[in-house]
Amino acid sequence: MKSRVIKWIDQRFPFSSFVKHDLTEYPTPRNLSYWWNFGFLAGFVLVLQVATGIFLAMHYKADVTLSFDSIQHIMRDVNFGWLLRYMHSTGASAFFLVIYIHMARTLYYGSYRAPRELMWWTGQGLLLLLMATAFMGYLLPWGQMSFWGATVITNLFRATPFFGDQVVVWLRGDFGVGDATLTRFFALHYLLPFLIIGGVLVHLVALHTVKSSNPSGIDLAAKDNIPFHPYFTIKDFYGLGIFLIVYCIFVFFLPNSLMEPANNIPANPMQTPTHIVPEWYFLPFYAILRSVPNLVGGVVAMGLSVMVFSFMPYLDRSRIPGGAHYRPWYRVMFYLFVVDMLVLGYVGYIPPTDQSIMIGKIATIFYFAQFVLLPFISRKEEQWLIRCGLPPEVETLIASEAKEKNKLPHQRRIGDIK
Amino acid sequence: MKKLIFILVLCCSSFHAGAAESKLEQIQLETDLPAVERGADALMNACHTCHSLKYITYRDLVKFGMDKKKVSDWRGDQPLDTALTSQLSDETAIQSYGIVPPDLSLIAKAREGGPSYVYSYLIGYYITPEGMTGNHVFPETRMPDMMGMSGATDPVQRAELQAKARDIVSFLAWAADPHEEERHKLGYYVIGYLLVLTAMLFVVKNQIWSRLK
Repeated sequence: MKSRVIKWIDQRFPFSSFVKHDLTEYPTPRNLSYWWNFGFLAGFVLVLQVATGIFLAMHYKADVTLSFDSIQHIMRDVNFGWLLRYMHSTGASAFFLVIYIHMARTLYYGSYRAPRELMWWTGQGLLLLLMATAFMGYLLPWGQMSFWGATVITNLFRATPFFGDQVVVWLRGDFGVGDATLTRFFALHYLLPFLIIGGVLVHLVALHTVKSSNPSGIDLAAKDNIPFHPYFTIKDFYGLGIFLIVYCIFVFFLPNSLMEPANNIPANPMQTPTHIVPEWYFLPFYAILRSVPNLVGGVVAMGLSVMVFSFMPYLDRSRIPGGAHYRPWYRVMFYLFVVDMLVLGYVGYIPPTDQSIMIGKIATIFYFAQFVLLPFISRKEEQWLIRCGLPPEVETLIASEAKEKNKLPHQRRIGDIK
Repeated sequence: MKKLIFILVLCCSSFHAGAAESKLEQIQLETDLPAVERGADALMNACHTCHSLKYITYRDLVKFGMDKKKVSDWRGDQPLDTALTSQLSDETAIQSYGIVPPDLSLIAKAREGGPSYVYSYLIGYYITPEGMTGNHVFPETRMPDMMGMSGATDPVQRAELQAKARDIVSFLAWAADPHEEERHKLGYYVIGYLLVLTAMLFVVKNQIWSRLK
């Protein structure tokens, strides 16, 4: 019976071949570490955010006089409304955490290099969409920080040449952030996740064309690739269990630790909070914005600080496989970059003082200096590594994989062919 | 590397500067029914004349398990589903104090420091050398010292007032997050379930991966 149904479907839709190509026979490097779990986790959080968000939208009211009250209605009166909302608010932080780790893994192992540039760029587009979605969603509770955060960020578009002021009004739908802004942010906050889903599909199609990278950085021979299902489905589910434990600790025991206290005060356009801070995931970029004294310069620096990752496939001139794993100089740069991000995040969080502004400026210069110097450092590092000889394990790995490939040319993966 | 150490040292030093500024008295919050009920009692007498709790209804108080007779004394002839609005109109409030007293439903979540802030604020009243009432935590406050903290010099009386403030904070913390207890209870089950599930997934994962040579 089952086979007959599947046969019927297969004549009309490539169901079996899809399962075969993308799951049961999809070749995945067996040496993937747990850092490769985060792509799946990002997909999971996306589904979680869409699911909780749709139910929240059933009870939320996008109207400046009602939105704050409707959130309290969700938190107090709706059955398990508090759970939906805390899952959604914690989910936003979880999404960024997972994505940042996913990006850090790509940077560490050099997974952005050929032939995976399109994966990196679609990922970059997804990051921008995610940031836009999170930013617009943060206005919806209509608390003090929602209002002033949206005011500060939309105001940045004043930096647009020639018609900056008009652009700000066009974005807000009014001269100040108000009802028109709230309703359009709600509409877009509902729309963008579906664009993200579309982008994820493109990201996955690209992935299944070039296949996963792996810690060695070398295209593995057929014998070292194993089917995605069941090996990586179960590994992803185990990783999901760990993720959910951490996530649920925050949802059930620390949900307010991720929220600004000032956002429990209804938005008041007449009263500016003493200290406006964005959510933690925007802090490093916010620190870069504040480190440049001039508005246009700050906005350009902030935009560039996010977009500069796109240039990585060209900035990294080294052909040594395995990313930071086999490249000591690049590894040092990677860790310094992570530390620099944390410093910037801290600078963005505290109220600006002379001292913190100075640290912010140093950290900003350091941030961009790393990208500017990378082409030279990576080229020099490659020459140095070739002169001193690659680590013996890389040499043996390259030799054995090459032998394997010569022996079994008919088992090559598409991505292997040079 | 030197730059890095320099930055770290700077960060640490500025962090300490921030910590020294806060003078909040940290409290261990009591969340049991008697404490919350005592707090509600104190609040209805001292605060409710001017402050509203618009997201809390009398029915919420009864549902939480407070004494029905007490609740009906508080609400008088208003229906059970009435919110705890204040008796002070906005106009009178502005005339007497210059501002509308803030709604207290979320106050325990709306300040940096949460319940500890509210407690420290309530007990933070003192008499300035000029003979005026001041507040250590919120010097610009327009609220008079309703509990009489600034005038209390006797340690026993002070301790009594502090206990009262603690009860009020217990009530306000409940009002700000009425599902907290339910959330924690459910949380233990969920995390317990996830621990078992994850342990089982780990075993299955190892079992499946052991098929590989």
